Amino acid sequence: MSKGGSNKKVANKLVAASCATVLAVYTAGYARTQSAANRIATQIAAERRASNPTPQRGVIPFTEIATTPGVPPEALSQVATSKPNRDPSTEPRPVAIEESAPAQIAPATSAAVEPSPIETQEPVSPAPQVTTSVTTSAAAPVAMPAPAAVVPAQAAPAWKDGVYTGWGYSRHGNIEAAVVVERGRIASATISQCRTRYSCSVIDKLPPQVAQRQSPEVDYVSGATQSADAFYGAVVEALSKAK
Amino acid sequence: MPIRTEAVMGTLVTIQVVRSGAESDANAAIVDHAMDRAFGWFQEIESLCTRFSAESELMQLMAHVGVPMPASAILYEAVRFALLVAEESGGAFDPTVGLRMEGLGFNREHRTGEIVRTAITPGDDVSFRDVQLDPGRKTITLLRPLALDLGAVAKGLAVDAAARELEPFKDFAIDAGGDLYLAGSNEQGQPWFVGIRHPRRAHELMASLRVSNQAVCTSGDYERGQHIVDPRQETSPVAVASATVVAPGAMLADALATAAFVLGPQEGIHFLIRLGVEGLIVTPEMQQYQTRGLRLA
Repeated sequence: MSKGGSNKKVANKLVAASCATVLAVYTAGYARTQSAANRIATQIAAERRASNPTPQRGVIPFTEIATTPGVPPEALSQVATSKPNRDPSTEPRPVAIEESAPAQIAPATSAAVEPSPIETQEPVSPAPQVTTSVTTSAAAPVAMPAPAAVVPAQAAPAWKDGVYTGWGYSRHGNIEAAVVVERGRIASATISQCRTRYSCSVIDKLPPQVAQRQSPEVDYVSGATQSADAFYGAVVEALSKAK
Repeated sequence: MPIRTEAVMGTLVTIQVVRSGAESDANAAIVDHAMDRAFGWFQEIESLCTRFSAESELMQLMAHVGVPMPASAILYEAVRFALLVAEESGGAFDPTVGLRMEGLGFNREHRTGEIVRTAITPGDDVSFRDVQLDPGRKTITLLRPLALDLGAVAKGLAVDAAARELEPFKDFAIDAGGDLYLAGSNEQGQPWFVGIRHPRRAHELMASLRVSNQAVCTSGDYERGQHIVDPRQETSPVAVASATVVAPGAMLADALATAAFVLGPQEGIHFLIRLGVEGLIVTPEMQQYQTRGLRLA
């Protein structure tokens, strides 16, 4: 596709305003994110120490994230954002288009920022094959690089890295859990969808236990045994996909 | 190739950095640190802008009607941008639609399932014009009781801020529940491939794009049900199944996709053209409308 007229993108008020907003926020918030960054870094360092010291190269593959059939995927199925598609046949032939960096905003004054035009360059030559992709929407197929040679498990449980979801059922409704496995260990577990009759806040304490214990064996919650069981079931199902 | 996923802002956020240079330990640490900071933005912005915590700055603002409330730079800028888009779109995008979404059942916290209730009763005709900014004092005044929903703006803003943290790496991708920012090229040195899912068939692509240094965001009627409300009619628009916008930033793309979704296929495309961004709108009958400059792969 030729780019034709170079008037394709005209610098405009909103584009400039959005850049200015991001810059203003970034400038103002940089110091504030430092604490969050440090906190995360500490956590991750701790997790690493606790787990496999061998440096792992290669890809942490996205693994199947699929809502269980029969469960309506509406509501909050954003969890299934990225989904692998290792079937190369579905990959369209690339049309290589290179675009230069977008608007550069010079002055830090957020209000009156000069809109910068966004330029595009001529297409570069097409390349033979593409394997990496990202999608915009829930269940669209995404081709992530095929999982690089799986690093041999050092210690016992060793799940495959990725993000997994599973549903647990109870008579009061269903719960979907999302479990993130990093370096063979459970990095986090969250309630990704709560379809129970009662608020899932009654089992707030359970998700962190999954990572702490590296196991779906969470506490019972008096008065919310059904929800706790459903969460347990959801984590078990999610982890079964990580085997 | 470093890639990391975390659950933030009620969704899973994945950041991938492509070939971070020499594969040395030192380099890996630098990428790690940048990723920490990038994820930090999501937490930071969420903590200010969430409607799901009474202590958030946004909720505090909503609790003080008629009072000029000093706002943090982040909240102030997010609101300012939301109002700008509201103005530009003639109210098709309106951040004060929040409470009406509660009425329609969009009052559940994504992760905990907690139900939020805002203890205010807005008039039927509240709009973004009931929010006033004082650029000198950096205060926000709600003229009437209303619920601000910064969802679309906040997530995109976090993506854009995170992208700035990762700028030194040149080639990276951020996926925040469908808000994408794709920088540079993928592992093959090609522009990133972005599939736009078929609005009705979950495993099919409707179209695909090649993008580099652009954000892509799709508003669909499928992902969370009818989650977009036409602020002008308090109903979910029906003329659009999905609206995708390609723009220099995720905040812009997300807000404009929402507006285009509400405006409908023809008006929506004209709106995007006027703003100088690219887009694709699909109707429930699977008709496609697109801007001329959109390059489908």
